[in-house]
Parts: sequence; C-alpha cells; structure tokens
Amino acid sequence: MNLPKLNSDQIKKLALSVMGFVFLLYVYFTFFLGPLNKSHQAAEAAIADRQHKIDTSKGEMSTAANLERQARDATGRFGALKALSPEGAPIAWFPPRIKSLFADQKIDKAVARLESATSPKEAELAGWTKYNWLIELPQTDYASLGQAVAALENTEPLLCITKLSIHLVPDQPQFQQIAIAASTVVEKR
Amino acid sequence: MALHLNLLHEEILEQRQRHRDPLKIGILLLAGCGVLLFLYYGWNVYQTLQVKAQLSAVERDWAKVEPKVTEAQKRAAELTNIINTTRVLDSYIDNRFLWAPLLEKISRCVAPNAQLTAIEGGVQDDDKGVTLTIQGVAAAHEPRSAAEDFREMLLEQLGQTYREVKVEFKALDDAETVTKVDGAAMPMAHYTIAVSFKGNSAPKPTPAPGRSKRKNESS
Repeated sequence: MNLPKLNSDQIKKLALSVMGFVFLLYVYFTFFLGPLNKSHQAAEAAIADRQHKIDTSKGEMSTAANLERQARDATGRFGALKALSPEGAPIAWFPPRIKSLFADQKIDKAVARLESATSPKEAELAGWTKYNWLIELPQTDYASLGQAVAALENTEPLLCITKLSIHLVPDQPQFQQIAIAASTVVEKR
Repeated sequence: MALHLNLLHEEILEQRQRHRDPLKIGILLLAGCGVLLFLYYGWNVYQTLQVKAQLSAVERDWAKVEPKVTEAQKRAAELTNIINTTRVLDSYIDNRFLWAPLLEKISRCVAPNAQLTAIEGGVQDDDKGVTLTIQGVAAAHEPRSAAEDFREMLLEQLGQTYREVKVEFKALDDAETVTKVDGAAMPMAHYTIAVSFKGNSAPKPTPAPGRSKRKNESS
C-alpha cells in the first residue's frame, strides 16, 4: 500500500482529529445514548411490571370473588359469634348475664367473678381475649344444676367449663354448693 | 520526443497538499460520523418515546384497575382472617367438654341406697382428658357391694360415651353409723372413686350460633 508521506504538521493535525473523534464518541455514549438507553430499559421494565400486575390482578379479583362466595357461611357464623359479646368490658355484662341465666333455671343466687384474662394460644385468635371466671352457686339441687349447666353450655357456645365442684350443703343434704370454673373467649373491642 | 515543462509545479503541489490536508479529512470524517450517530440517536429517541407512550397507556389501565385490586386484596385478606378465626372458634366450640351429659349419666347411676356427697372434676388442658373424684356413701346389708354396684354402673354408663374410661376406688371404708333404708337399719360405707376418661366420642351437642339447633339437653 502506498501511503502518502506525512509531514510533522500533518501528523499533528491527524492526531488532533483522532482525539476529537474519541471525544465525540465519549460524549455521545456518556451523555446522550447511555441515558437514553437507560430510560428506554426502565420504561420497558415498568411496562412489564404493570402488565404483570394487571394480569395477576384479574386472578386476584376472581379469587376474592370466589372467596366471598365460600366465606358466606363463615362470615355469617363469625358475625353471630361476635354478636354474643356485647360492647363494653366483659366484667360489666358477663356476671349479670350468668345471674340471669341461672335465675331462669330457678337458681336465684349465682355469682360470677373474673379470675384472670389471657391471650389465647392460637394465632388466629389474636384479636380475642380469654377470660377465666369462677361461678359460684351457694345453694341448688342436682337436677336444677344439670339443667342449668345444659342451658349454660347451649346458650354460651364460647364458654368452656374447665372445673366443676359439687359439695353438699351442711345440714341440708338435698342441696349442693357449686363452684364452676369456666373460660370464655371475647373479641377485643 | 516532446518536451513538457511544468512551470506551475509548486502551485500544483500546494493545491494537492491542500486537498489531502489530514485535518480537513478528519473534520469531514468526524462530521460524517456525527451525522450517523445523530441519526442513530434520533432512532433511539423515537423508540424510547414509543415505549414511554406504551407505558403511559399501561399505567392508565393500571390506574383504573388498581383501586379494585387493592380493595379485592384487602377483602380477601379480611375474609381469610374471618374464615381462619371462625374455624378456630368452631374447633374451640366443638372440642369443649360438656358437663351436662356427664351429670346426667352420674345421676342415672345413683341407686336409692346411695348418696353422693361431693363431685370434683376438671378438664386437662393437653388432650382434653377429664378427671373426676366422687365421694359418697352407700347403705345396704353389704354396703361395699352397693358401692361396687355404683362403680360398675358408672363404668358402664361412661363407657357408652367416652373413651379410655377408668373408674377406680380410691377409698372404701365401713362407717360406724347405720342408717334406715325403707325402715330397716343398714350399715354404711364411705367411698371415694377416681374417674378418668377422654373426650366426647358421641355427643356434639352445642350449636354454634346459626349452625344447628340445641342438642344438649340434660334430663
């Protein structure tokens, strides 16, 4: 190849041209094409993300609709269980309710005392509190007690009798003294 | 042979050198590359703008759907929580030990010549086992036999409903006093019976609200 012979001035100019070209490429890729490509890629990623969300949202909405149908029974039952506990502190309404229940069973004297309140062990019942009560019936007969306990267990499904103590009343063997330890779960309000 | 004389040699040389000036050529090359790069950049800008327009359209779609999706997710979480809580509450209700049927069974076992003086019972936390201590007196010609009859009857009655039933005497002592049964004086025996059993194998009496009607009825 027959290259033209360059003098020193021409070599300087050629070097200057090469430097200019390199600088042009640097500026182009660093300040123009690079940010533009980044912006392009970010937009594409955002589109993919939104599209994925839109696609999954259809599934989520249908899942929620299915769940709504499936949960109808549970929702109704949950509402009924919640309705068993009136507003206010349980110590305010539980003892009168117990007294009234036993009075309906012809047991006039019934005293319910709050022993303790704890959180249930089950994680699902995080919004509920377990109350431990001591119910004392100073004088009743065995048959009335049986009926009253049946009524108590039927009308208070969230009440669980944990201990039962029956003793004769001294000098009146036809009557018994009763102590019932029971626990209830009540929704926190 | 003709003789050619070039009297403009220096001027022609100068002109040729101007034509192949490296700086000029470099500037031309640079300008050419610049134009190409600019065109390429323009094409990229066009594509990016198109993608951004597409992104705007997708975001508009998402903005329409998002409130419904958020609402659906919230509702689904709420329903799942309700279902789980209801299941645990149902389990709590179903796994309760019911005392009324037990009291009824005990009452069936007490013969006219026997009397119970105390019953102490409790439900164990772990496996829902139930323990009972029953104290009483029996009066008969053979008061120990009367107490044994009560124990056997209790074992039979409880065995019909509960699992792993154990009914054992903890104490059985003759009393020094006598009592009258149907006008006849009978010796008495004091007894203490320990009872243990597990679970409700038969009755599922207590209805959760809105589920079923009452089944737990003590006689």
